[in-house]
Formats: sequence, C-alpha cells, structure tokens
Amino acid sequence: MCGIAARIAGRMADIGTDLVELMDAQVHRGADSTGFALYGPPRRTGFVVRAVGFNRASLGVDLDDLIKVIRGYGADLESDPTVDEASSAHVSVRLEISELSDIEKWSREADELSHRIEIQSVGRSLEIIKDTGSAADVAGKHGVRGFIGTHGLGHARLATESSVVPTASHPFWARPFPDVAIVHNGQITNYFLLRDRLRRDGYRFMTENDSELIAVWISDRIKAGLDKLQALEQSISEIDGVFTYLISDSDSIGFAKDRWAIKPLVAMGDGGEVAVATEEQAVRRIYAAEGDVVNYDGPALTNTWPVQKAAA
Amino acid sequence: MKDLTVTVGDRPIRQVNAEIRDAVAAGRDVTVTDTKSRHNLAIGMDARANIRFEGSVGYYCGGLNCGARIQVERNAGWAVGEAMSSGEITVGGYAGMSAGTSMLGGLLHIKGNAGPRCGVAMKGGDIIVEGRIGYLSGFMAHAGRIIALEGAGDACADSLWGGEVWLAGPAKSLGVDTRLTEPSAEQVQEVEALLAERGLADSSRDWRKIVSAQRLWHFQSRDAKAWLMI
Repeated sequence: MCGIAARIAGRMADIGTDLVELMDAQVHRGADSTGFALYGPPRRTGFVVRAVGFNRASLGVDLDDLIKVIRGYGADLESDPTVDEASSAHVSVRLEISELSDIEKWSREADELSHRIEIQSVGRSLEIIKDTGSAADVAGKHGVRGFIGTHGLGHARLATESSVVPTASHPFWARPFPDVAIVHNGQITNYFLLRDRLRRDGYRFMTENDSELIAVWISDRIKAGLDKLQALEQSISEIDGVFTYLISDSDSIGFAKDRWAIKPLVAMGDGGEVAVATEEQAVRRIYAAEGDVVNYDGPALTNTWPVQKAAA
Repeated sequence: MKDLTVTVGDRPIRQVNAEIRDAVAAGRDVTVTDTKSRHNLAIGMDARANIRFEGSVGYYCGGLNCGARIQVERNAGWAVGEAMSSGEITVGGYAGMSAGTSMLGGLLHIKGNAGPRCGVAMKGGDIIVEGRIGYLSGFMAHAGRIIALEGAGDACADSLWGGEVWLAGPAKSLGVDTRLTEPSAEQVQEVEALLAERGLADSSRDWRKIVSAQRLWHFQSRDAKAWLMI
C-alpha cells in the first residue's frame, strides 16, 4: 500500500504540521516508517545536509570524518551540527555548510563513509527527515511540527521491496542532485534494469528500494534535456509497474501515474496553495470544508504544481 | 419518529457506525453530517435503513449493503457499494475507483462521473452513471448491468464474462473480448423504464449495448498474444 502526500503552502508557513497531519490521516496505509521532504527558507549559497549516523556511540568520529570530506571541497560548517536526542542506535544529523566546489564529486567521496554515516539529502532548502514508525512517532522524535517552509512531501510506508530501516524509507533524495526528492506508492518491476544502466553512468544507489530509482531516473532525464513534464511523461512508458509518485524540487511538485491506474491521488486547493494525498480524507485535514477535489483516477496521468517564488 | 443526526468529524468510525445501526434498529432515519470523506461508513446496513450523508464520503461507503437506501450528497471514494446484495445507493457527485465492485444486486446510482473499474467483477444488480464511466469499467463482470449516459473511457468492458454495459455516449475504446450490439426495442424499453423511475426519462438516446464475445470463456494459451494489451 503506502500513502503519499504533498503540500504547497503558497507562502512561508508551518508545512511541518501540515505534512504530519496529511500522513497521520493515512497512518493505516503503512506505519513501518514515515518520512518528510521539507523545503525551508532557500539559501543563496551553501547547503543544508541531512545525514543518518548508524552508531550513536561513535557519532563524534564519524561526523569528524564527514566534515573532513566537506572541507576537502572548499566548504565548512556554518553552525554547530544538530542531532536528535533519542535513544535509538541510529542518529539523525543536520549540518549547515557553505558552498561546495563540486557537489557530484563531493557526494561520491562522502558516500565512502556511508557504512558509518549516510547522507539523506543535500539542498539549498531541502531537508529529508525519515525514520521507522508512524507519523506521530517520527514527528515527535524529530520535531517535524513547526518546520517553517514553502512546500514538501510526506510518505507512510508499508515495506514491500526492502528492509524496514530509516535509510530505506521514503522520501528518497535524487543523489547527487541538490533539492530533488520523491515519494512513491506502488511497485516498480523493472527497477533493477534501469538502476544498472544508471549505475554504469556513474550514479550511486544506497538501498535495494525500487523507489530510489525514480528520483535519479527523472533527474537524469532532465539533465539530458527534457523538461520536467516531459520526463514525467516518459517515465510512464519506461518505468514498469503500478505506481503513483510525487517528485519535488525547489520550484515545483509533480506527479506521474502508471497505465493501470491502480494507485490513487487527489488534490485540493487554490490560489497557489495545494494539498495532495493518496486519500481524500487526508487533504480534508488541511481543508476541512467541502470543496472541489480533483481525483487523478485515470491511467497515465501527470501534472505539476508550481511553488510561488515570490512567496519565499 | 424524528430523524437522528450523527456527526462524524474525527470520531472513531466504529462508534459512528454503531450509532447509525442503533438508530436504524429503533426505526429512525439517519442524517450523517461533517463526513470529512472518512472511510467505511454505513457498512452492512439492512432494509430498515434510510441514511443520508451530507457531504463527501471516503472508501467503501454502503459496502455489503443488504436492502438499505443510502444517499451521499457529494462525492464517494473507492468502491462505494462494494458487494451490495440489495438496496439502493445514490451518489450526488463523483464516485471514485471501483464503484459497485462485486455487486450482487440492488441499484447504485451515480449522478456525476465514475472512476476507473466501475462495476469490476459485478455479479448482479444495476449501476446507473449519469456521466461517464472510467477506464476499464465492467472489467471481468459476470452479470448485472452498467448504464452510462455520457459514455466510457478506455478499455470499456474489458474481459467481460457476462452482464451488459449500456452506453448512450461514446466509448474511448472497447476492451478485449467485447461485442458491440444494437439492443432490441424491448431491451431499450426496460432500461428506459429503469431510468424513468429515477427521473431520467429521455426517448432520444442512441443506445449501444456491450456484451461478452465469449472467446475468453475457453482460453487457450496458444491464443495468449491476442489478449495482450501492451
């Protein structure tokens, strides 16, 4: 199953709370893990890095090694790293860093440490927070409510393709493309073929999750010259399986749905703001009153919703 | 006795349904408010029930209905009236995917459009859709009748086993193993009479009836290629 959601607030707002509500309303679709891709106030230079350390006890050493790699690419910490205060063995880390000279090369080198500390997202504004447990669990542990930003994605996972661990949860960052993330409801059946092709082109995948493919595949198509909508449309004929996924970057949120029209998606909103979710009852957490709901129920559909830049 | 009003809001659905059942058992009609598109409302209601939902409902509303009259003022989510055996469900607006899944009897009346797979695996009863039915509607239905006044999406009546899909508008495409027929005057009269009961009389409709071509009844693996859609 799985449940997905997107929110564009139309202005700087508490998108953290909105997305927690959207996911809490869909907790019955999967509570193996829950995750959020949150777009905070965009930076002109430098990046926000989100990472997971696998051993809380050795975090100091692991983080020092990661910071060395960051300094190797001309960047430095702009503030002290913050970590969650939970008792789990794994630990979530947030870093604010200055401009990296080559994000692709840096990412490859930083990934050499991924058995100890794994990068979850890099962006001017993107922050991916994901962990095992329900929306309430993850929101409580990581303080998702109160996150101020422009837009974001949410995901409730019923694990099918890979392990129930924080790093195999959604959203997935489109490694190494800054600010690109996806959430996915469905099963991709030809992901290993497409992933192998992308690996030969130098991309790196961190999990055995089918969904990790989508973000990189779309970003690679856009890099090859397609616009976002063309890439979404092409994914319907080239990615096989039943799927509805949402993909976000700093400018917009888009979706694509397969030819079999199995996985639902609804949207509600107007005037530059929108709430999107697998189930209508979830968007009603944002818009309590009866209103016009768009049901994307048909086969082979795409759409994009712009993020108002003036509002940021 | 006066109608009972039950409010949904964010209350547990089990509690809401228990209140609806208790009211029905006491012989009262029920109006349900603040429905918030929530799932699983009014499941398994019997012939004593007369229930009206103000607003939109979520998945499986009126599922397993055995005789109740249920009205939804606005939209319904997935599989409204799933496995209903008798009774009457009316949806004022749009009905999401798989409306009337595996219906055995009764009437499902949708005033707007219906999503994909309307009447999938249907085994009896009637579905009237005043708008269009979506992609793959009537898929693998065994019996019963789907009537769509404004036509159908792609792959209409795909793999139809039995039953009938009636269209008074165009189908984007027909599914595999279907046969397009001209209904007889008597058959048209029967369908028009059913529509007239619902206030939908119109003698000018140009009907087409889709039935099974029955080739899939005797599937041979050597013919598999003929059934591949992609």
